[in-house]
Amino acid sequence: MNLISARGVGKDVMSGGQPLTILADVDLDVAAGESVAIVGASGSGKTTLLSLLAGLDLPSRGEIRLDGHDLSGLDEDARAELRAGRVGFVFQSFQLLSGFTALENVMLPAELAGYKDAPARAQAALERVGLGARLSHYPHQLSGGEQQRVAIARAFCAEPTVLFADEPTGNLDAATGARIIDLLFEMNAARGTTLVLVTHDAALASRCRRVLRLREGRIVHG
Amino acid sequence: MASAMLFAVRRLRRGWRSGELFILVLALAVAVAASAAVNLFTERVRSALDAQTGEALGGDVLYSARRPLPPSLSPSAQALGLRTTELVHFTSVVFHGDASQLASIKAVGAGYPLRGALRVSSEPFGPARAAAGVPARGEAWVDARLWQALRLFPGAMLKVGALELRVSAVIQAEPDRGNGFADLAPRLMMNGADVADSQLLGPGSRAQYSLLVAGDAPAVQAVLAQPVPDGVRRQTPREARPEIRNALSRAGQFLDIAIVAATLLAAAAVALSARQYGEKLRDEIALLKCLGARQGFLVRALLLQLVLLGAAAALAGAAVGYLAQAALARVLADLMQLELPPPPLKPLLAAAALGGLMLLGFAAPPMLDARRTLPLRVFQRDLAASPLSRSVWIAAFAAAAALLWLASADTRLVLIVLAGIGLSAVALALLAWLLVLALQPLRRRVGISWRFGLGNVARRRAASVAQVTALGLALLALLLVSVVREDLLRSWQRKLPADTPNQFLINIQTDQVQPLRAFFQQRGYPALELWPMARGRLVELNGTPVTADSFPDPETQRWINRDFNLSWSTTLNPDNRITQGQWWGEAGRGQPWLSADEYAIERLHLKLGDTLTLDFAGERVTLTVHNFRTVEWDSFRPNFFLLAPPGVVPETVPTQWLTSFYLPPGDRALLRELIDAFPNVTVLDIEAMMNQVRGIIDRIVTAVEFIFLFTLAAGVTVLLAAIEGTRAERIRETALLRTLGARAGLIARGLLAEYAVLGALAGFIAAIASQTVAWVLAAQVFGIAYGPRPHLWALGTLGGAVLVALLGGLSLRRVLHTPPRRVLQQI
Repeated sequence: MNLISARGVGKDVMSGGQPLTILADVDLDVAAGESVAIVGASGSGKTTLLSLLAGLDLPSRGEIRLDGHDLSGLDEDARAELRAGRVGFVFQSFQLLSGFTALENVMLPAELAGYKDAPARAQAALERVGLGARLSHYPHQLSGGEQQRVAIARAFCAEPTVLFADEPTGNLDAATGARIIDLLFEMNAARGTTLVLVTHDAALASRCRRVLRLREGRIVHG
Repeated sequence: MASAMLFAVRRLRRGWRSGELFILVLALAVAVAASAAVNLFTERVRSALDAQTGEALGGDVLYSARRPLPPSLSPSAQALGLRTTELVHFTSVVFHGDASQLASIKAVGAGYPLRGALRVSSEPFGPARAAAGVPARGEAWVDARLWQALRLFPGAMLKVGALELRVSAVIQAEPDRGNGFADLAPRLMMNGADVADSQLLGPGSRAQYSLLVAGDAPAVQAVLAQPVPDGVRRQTPREARPEIRNALSRAGQFLDIAIVAATLLAAAAVALSARQYGEKLRDEIALLKCLGARQGFLVRALLLQLVLLGAAAALAGAAVGYLAQAALARVLADLMQLELPPPPLKPLLAAAALGGLMLLGFAAPPMLDARRTLPLRVFQRDLAASPLSRSVWIAAFAAAAALLWLASADTRLVLIVLAGIGLSAVALALLAWLLVLALQPLRRRVGISWRFGLGNVARRRAASVAQVTALGLALLALLLVSVVREDLLRSWQRKLPADTPNQFLINIQTDQVQPLRAFFQQRGYPALELWPMARGRLVELNGTPVTADSFPDPETQRWINRDFNLSWSTTLNPDNRITQGQWWGEAGRGQPWLSADEYAIERLHLKLGDTLTLDFAGERVTLTVHNFRTVEWDSFRPNFFLLAPPGVVPETVPTQWLTSFYLPPGDRALLRELIDAFPNVTVLDIEAMMNQVRGIIDRIVTAVEFIFLFTLAAGVTVLLAAIEGTRAERIRETALLRTLGARAGLIARGLLAEYAVLGALAGFIAAIASQTVAWVLAAQVFGIAYGPRPHLWALGTLGGAVLVALLGGLSLRRVLHTPPRRVLQQI
């Protein structure tokens, strides 16, 4: 069964008073447990597609279904509710809340999903990514790699069915990036999470079961 | 709810630690503290002054009637926990040997006076001491005039009706004497228990029976809530001592300025810092939405943050306000010789409500607006710049109106301050725009630091204009405070110079005018100015006969029942100001015209052209209202509700004269000579009362200055908020510049140059604006002359530059010494 499906999806924005098409006629299906890499040059529409699939934005045309729900039929609040507990994110710039400790950052999605055992889950997740000793550290006290590991722990804490990752190694050196990718795939495999990731990195893309290539807003290979 | 609470607490903890909430809480707390301190203190002083001015009555409430008071009146007041004492006034001829004199006799009960002190001496004008109690039975205390008139000596025996009394003291000061300049007969005070033995008061005899009541404020309020028996007149100190009331209401205006300015400034600081905080929240809200946070959660978390912030600020502000008023009370109550009642709770609650209103009107809208952030912002930061929704502005406007309505009862003053600030904001923005443009060509002619600084000002043109406007408003408030403090307060203080008349002479007969002038001239005193006075009764208004019953208002009824004191002159006293119509000058001589003071206008609802017919002992004179006047009753010069031109009142009408003069402290012997030479003239020594007024003004000035500290603090919060507004951007730029190799010193000089330029621009404009507002306030509200002060412009420009550079430098100090890697990493 498809966890994510997109039919005829297009996205236009206004730029300098002119409509600009960022995505056009995107059709795609992602099965539960599958891992898909979206690759393409800068400006090809990768991140836009990711944000549409995650329900962060609505398409100008077409239909997107996430876990059986038509996203266009949901308002922003309902889409947030749909994400809570079902969707995890890993961002290029980590996106940790600077005033929250590692533990507090990680437990946030579980709290939002209403899990009573959020602190225990968060602690377990941090231990799994090897940061069991840094629970009460703030983001600025952690290295880039450690911050991204916190972000991965956060992504898995609420045991989502799908994980969206946007250039997860983009801000890291090669060695750290490689360790982060190993961790990401390892946890993904252990939980059978569906993974959709956007990357420039061919090595990273090749570890996914399927690679979709975008060019000027259209899927050219997938 | 629990997780929203957790989130709110964690977010606030972070906000507090990073300092981003500090200004918001500080501004709120300053506003709450200012309001609490002012309202607590003025409330306490007001009730204490009510008690003190109770001296004018000798108690907190005075009941009086032409016949014995209902016997239940005193016990019912005592039942409320109040102290009471009874008095009887009547006139009678007093004999000493062969000599006799009509005297005003006051028979007093134990405990008199309930407020104020009776001061006596062993001989006239001798050293005074506080009287221990009241005259014992069989004794009489007399004033200097009766002493002189009857050639008395210590232990002399007086005959009052059937009673023999022994003179045992001379009355120097009687707190409840001197309400108006009635032709008072000399005073004899005796024990109330002796009255019956005098056999002077029988049915039909003319006497005034009084009951004095005093006690703590709630009991006084309770007795005031009771109905007044028929035929009994009730007076409270509020109706006495207009000069002290005047001082208090003037002080109220200064405090209003302080509080209105502090409130508006704090509101501006709250709005600025809440907007900045809201902007910072947007990234987090976008992320939270990604992670599945719903609107309900976000609104709860934001509201909880607001409530917690508000509660913290209100508590801190109320505590500071309470301490401030306690400090004020401690320092001033001694000086004021005031027994302040305990602080009431209401002003504290009102101050907290003010904080809540500021939070709702200025902090909540921009913060809650952040919940509209789209989750897509996690990928596209520039989605941020969505303008604030219209409701934010509407809320701020409504809150500002409500705040001003709460802060001050004086609408005109509020409007002047508000218009001043509003116009200044527009002028500031316009001028700032022009000045920022003018800076552009300057950039090429200065060193690298200044080029960097000026470049920043010119490049961020819109932000610079906004910043100069905010800084300018803050500096405007600071300058305004200094102008009000230095010029307006001081000129008020100077209105009672050291040589203000402290003695009044009344009951001067027409044939004594010249000898009296000569008396003073011989002793080297300045030429006396004497005012004639005739006493008439109002019998017709616009041709219609009137009596007291023609007016529903009891105060007017009382006024009509008394004789009107009419004086005449071709010159207008300097403490009088014509508000409508023209002063007649020499041209008025013989014209049947009348000049009415505000009190008369209000009581009789007069219009120009109305006619008043006065009966002067059978002679009727009809006068047409020619002009209206306001009188500064606190000037301590003789003044009259009604004035006419000379030659209008027939010469047959009995005329008395009065005058006032300044008696230096060492010259008191002159009074004895004066009484010897003119035994019928009454001397009213108002030195003590004047010192009291002067003292009260001084104390109030000190209190106002203290309260202005809060306005200053509020101004500083705006400065900080304005500087804080561009801090994040500066941090980023600084890190970037340092990465590119700029040394910390160079960047610091550049930033200081930028802040100095912004501060100087703002200070210059604020100086002009503060002068204008002060000038309008001086002319419209305080009636004080005020000229331009060019030095203030230099002070504003220089002070603005230094202050803003200093505060800006402090706010960025840490940034300059943080390694750029850390800074860039944190962004």
